[in-house]
Amino acid sequence: MYKFKFLYSKMIQYVLVIFLILTLNFLLPRLMPGSPLAYLAGEDVGLMTSEEKQKILDKHGLNDSITTQYIDYLSNIFTGDFGFSYQQKVPISDLIEDRLPWTLLLTGLNLVISTILGVIFGAMAAWKRGTKTDINLLTGFMFLSAMPSFWIGMILVSLFASKLGWFPVFGAETAWADYQGMERLLDIGHHMILPLITLILISVTTTFMTMRYSMLNVLGEDYIQMAKAKGVKEKTIKYKHAMRNALLPVATVFMLSLGFMLGGATVIETVFAYPGIGRLMFEAVVSRDYPLIQATFLIITFSVIIANFIADILYPLLDPKVGKENG
Amino acid sequence: MTILQVENLSTYYKTDRGEAQAVENVSFSMKKGEMLGLIGESGCGKTTVAQSILRLIEYPGRIVSGKAYLDGIDLLTAKQDELEKLRWKDISVIPQSAMNALNPIYTIGDQIVESILIHEDVSKATAIKRTEELLEMVGIKKNRFKNYPHEFSGGMKQRVAIAMALSCNPKLIISDESTTGLDVLTQAQIIALIKQLQKDLGLSIILISHDLPMVTSVCDRVAIMYAGKIVELANTQDILKHCSHPYSNGLLNATPDLSNPDKEVVSIPGSVPDLVKPPTGCRFYDRCKARMNVCKEESPDLKEIRPDHFSACFLEGGGYYHVQ
Repeated sequence: MYKFKFLYSKMIQYVLVIFLILTLNFLLPRLMPGSPLAYLAGEDVGLMTSEEKQKILDKHGLNDSITTQYIDYLSNIFTGDFGFSYQQKVPISDLIEDRLPWTLLLTGLNLVISTILGVIFGAMAAWKRGTKTDINLLTGFMFLSAMPSFWIGMILVSLFASKLGWFPVFGAETAWADYQGMERLLDIGHHMILPLITLILISVTTTFMTMRYSMLNVLGEDYIQMAKAKGVKEKTIKYKHAMRNALLPVATVFMLSLGFMLGGATVIETVFAYPGIGRLMFEAVVSRDYPLIQATFLIITFSVIIANFIADILYPLLDPKVGKENG
Repeated sequence: MTILQVENLSTYYKTDRGEAQAVENVSFSMKKGEMLGLIGESGCGKTTVAQSILRLIEYPGRIVSGKAYLDGIDLLTAKQDELEKLRWKDISVIPQSAMNALNPIYTIGDQIVESILIHEDVSKATAIKRTEELLEMVGIKKNRFKNYPHEFSGGMKQRVAIAMALSCNPKLIISDESTTGLDVLTQAQIIALIKQLQKDLGLSIILISHDLPMVTSVCDRVAIMYAGKIVELANTQDILKHCSHPYSNGLLNATPDLSNPDKEVVSIPGSVPDLVKPPTGCRFYDRCKARMNVCKEESPDLKEIRPDHFSACFLEGGGYYHVQ
């Protein structure tokens, strides 16, 4: 009963947040400078009469009052209709359907791999606090986090893709090659390696630092000394008693990153011309493609909300204290 | 029968100014089934003695020298894998703050079962049954097996810690200020519980505390520590009636007596010496009312002044005649 009540009040909060986001999302592109007309009509816009211009704006509903536009916008969203992209002249839902899996694949893999690496190295550094291993790891990860993501991406592209030719320069798979099955998987993997490495390099440090710090705290706790006094083996102390406790803050970082999965790879997707949501958003902003901008922003913000919701449900499973407080 | 024999134990801590001689040349022994009180003000090295015996001293601390024979095996030179077997099976601890000594993400039952399964070749079902019996023994209902530490009060966590210390029938239990942070009533209950279990199960216990009346009310023998050394060691009755060392006397005089409300409580003036550069002579020299010239030059050894009564003082009879 309490559990239900808790979920119910959470739900109301989320509905409010979603409504606010929808409204902001509607207003934001309309507050930006520049007119979409040029992009709607292409280069011909200079030759058009004002009547013709009005016709185009009418066609896309841009001459209606703000309220009408807002109501249209809301009703369309709830029927899953994001409208047509001004620029690409295709239904936006098709575009998103195309792009979403690529981003999810890339950032999902990054999230899993960088979390695992960060946790392992963070725990190792803390376990060997003050030794060479710790200092080397710490310096290495600090160095990585200090480098801008686009720069790492460009270096990797120019070295491994252009110079050495080991990896493709752009895209998520070879166009028109029409590979099937295993061959296609390998091709996708081959394309993904460089952007994935770049993403891992820039995101692993956060997890590493969080894990190292949290593990250091846990290792100073009385129950670790108690476990030693109990004759628990070093390995068991490290994994069962220390790491399991130290994972809680890492889980928070993980949940936060989960929310930024879709939007967080924009720069990398642009550098590697990777056909994901981030790049779609970038293209939309550059060409002032209002409906597309709205749709990508919306998808990204929704993913943050969904991640929060997942965190709300999962956290009690990790920390027995949280579960009891909520219910 | 002697269960524990500690000889010339010294443990130092590295500091920025040099090594602090936290425990210097401590020797004592205890018999099976005995309850030995280890007493002294904070910073005098009580806990360091306990942690040295348990081999839990970590950097910046190190055991400089000494031996600690538990039933004939030297704990201080035992190898790591031997040590892992010895710990808890032979020597267990009721920790200083049970609040933090239990892992927050495992149920208390699981934590006790863990210690049984590490050391004994029994099935999990047997270990669970044993854990439930232990919990009942310390006054916790067995249906709380599956509760997490944060669902218990401080006193109950302390009971859980006692159950855990008993889980492998150890030869020796060290209770390290086990009642710190508990209210007076709960303290009394916990100490009574420990005493009861000691009598019923014939346990050998070292009770570390700074609470002199509490220690003298439950312990068979008492060792009084000052600045890293044992200054007096005797049966409880001897300590109370024939207290000899000037520091022990100071300690007794500084304790209010319920049966004698008119007693004047006198504190010991001064403060403990710097253990990084301890005095060459007696460590109590600066604060001692009966100091002599020799006390400044030489450090007194613990010597037997009466049968089974040891005192480390140059005064005649280890200070006894001075006091009388």
